[in-house]
Amino acid sequence: MSQTMDPNNMPFLSEASVSVEIETEDMTLNIGPQHPSTHGVLRLVAKVNGEKISSVEPVLGYMHRGYEKLAEVRTYPQVTTLVNRIDWVSGFANEIPFIAGAEKLMEIEVPERAQYIRLILTEMARISSHFVFNGAFPLEIGALTPIFLAMEDRERVLDLLESVTGGRFHPNFNRIGGVKPVAGAGPTTKKDIQDLPAGFYHDTKVAMEKVLKAVDTFEDLIGGNEVFQARTKKVGVLTKEVAEEYGVSGPILRASGVEFDLRKQSDYLPYDKFDFEIPIGENGDCFDRWSVRTSEMRESAKIILQAIEDMPSGPIQAKVPKVIKVPKGQTYVRAENPKGEMGYYIISEGGLGPYRLKIRTASFSNISILPIMLEGALLPDLIAIMGSLDFVLGDVDR
Amino acid sequence: MKSGEKKTLNQSDQNEFINSIQSSFKNTSYNFDTLKINVDISSWIDTHKILKKDFNLSFFNWLSAVDWDNEVKTGDAPKEPVTPSFEILSCLSQTNSNNLVISSTVISKENAEIESLVDVFAGANWHEREAYEMFGINFLNHPNLTKLYLPDDYEGNPLLKSFELISREVKPWPGDVDVEGMPEDSIVVEEKGS
Repeated sequence: MSQTMDPNNMPFLSEASVSVEIETEDMTLNIGPQHPSTHGVLRLVAKVNGEKISSVEPVLGYMHRGYEKLAEVRTYPQVTTLVNRIDWVSGFANEIPFIAGAEKLMEIEVPERAQYIRLILTEMARISSHFVFNGAFPLEIGALTPIFLAMEDRERVLDLLESVTGGRFHPNFNRIGGVKPVAGAGPTTKKDIQDLPAGFYHDTKVAMEKVLKAVDTFEDLIGGNEVFQARTKKVGVLTKEVAEEYGVSGPILRASGVEFDLRKQSDYLPYDKFDFEIPIGENGDCFDRWSVRTSEMRESAKIILQAIEDMPSGPIQAKVPKVIKVPKGQTYVRAENPKGEMGYYIISEGGLGPYRLKIRTASFSNISILPIMLEGALLPDLIAIMGSLDFVLGDVDR
Repeated sequence: MKSGEKKTLNQSDQNEFINSIQSSFKNTSYNFDTLKINVDISSWIDTHKILKKDFNLSFFNWLSAVDWDNEVKTGDAPKEPVTPSFEILSCLSQTNSNNLVISSTVISKENAEIESLVDVFAGANWHEREAYEMFGINFLNHPNLTKLYLPDDYEGNPLLKSFELISREVKPWPGDVDVEGMPEDSIVVEEKGS
């Protein structure tokens, strides 16, 4: 917006403008908690001077469910059900760091096949999350078409997730030491455990080809749209120094030019076996944040196609005790989730459940920069900036 | 293999980092791939300044607290008796490697206050507000120490171990019965070991 609103680029405007200074005063504008662009129930108290925002104070807590307290009265397998619901757009990815943390404390080696299944489904969760973003972000700034395309394509990916886990949003599929045998397989004989449904590889291949095509379409349809470019380029620029200081992670950090992706740096899942790239942005504006996420979908589809090619065979569950007791210890395990870094600091005192579970969510830190990014921005840019941060209120409030 | 090489390289870098931290700080531990520094409350701010400047730990991950207590109303008490206290934890990391440091300090429950980190890491703002409302810890020199999630008139600090989870008192957790006493043959897990 700032590009098109610049009076220097619009000579007819500067000619018409009057030289009289009009006295203005700040007005307090309440945005939300129910507003389509707030992705749930975020409230912003903005002080505006005309079209210009002078300060913004986000008000959180409308979705606060107290998961850190609830985790203290649950056993480890029960906590998995809770963490599914933190970032509900990519429920599967939330389970991974928690399960990996519990496995680390119990010193369990997870079978390779289980790790591959986890990896494939995590990437599917990432693709479906970015599909939602590709539909919702243009919608918020006025483009209606992409959401229909995005939802249709996302449904294909969700169908695959559902065929394996039984759930579209809340799979609750990971078990400490492996993954759940597929629904319906049941306690059969030793060798006859089905872990993936029939036709999964073929369906995945077809769906991923469609995803790759959809990404091309989005890059044309959204990225090539002049109105979209005018609304997003040079809008909401975030420097990497500010991003790091506020703990802003994931695609937003990478759009600001930091090449940091836990899939490359950490070893919580065997990503080192696959060939993929980390898309990074140059300017750190809304357009870069959109473009990084969209390119990431392509890389995720590539990872999945590689993973189903060399899927190892073997068990999907390590030997674990019947009653899960995690020995005394503390660990922090983090993972690259679609929204950014998600981690769990688990403090175990040797009981059936954690003594304390600190949940680090990506969206919480990501939107803590809102007051800084929105200071001095124009009111229509607020929607573009908020949309480009791609947060989910469940991930902010926990 | 390409990937194998990369991993060992990362590993040696990480060991070097851990050694440099351990030689600079007295009280450190490295368990379950988590490097933790225990510092005195008086050097809380300075530690973060040093970590940010000298060790390139410029990424602020999170800050939180733990309520250590022997008498608990939710969950299980620690097996071995602990000194009742608050432990403040902060997590910093680098953005070009997987290096990560947890800093920890212990403050007393009677005098639950600590210097705010906002001047060193502006991102600590919301994390400290959360710790303030959940534990009642007072962060000195914080620019806006108000409740973050909870309503303004809410009384109590929910994450304290002495704070009861009312829903659990009203109706006991049905999941309790599932944990033990399951018949042997219905467990698939046991059969599948490699």
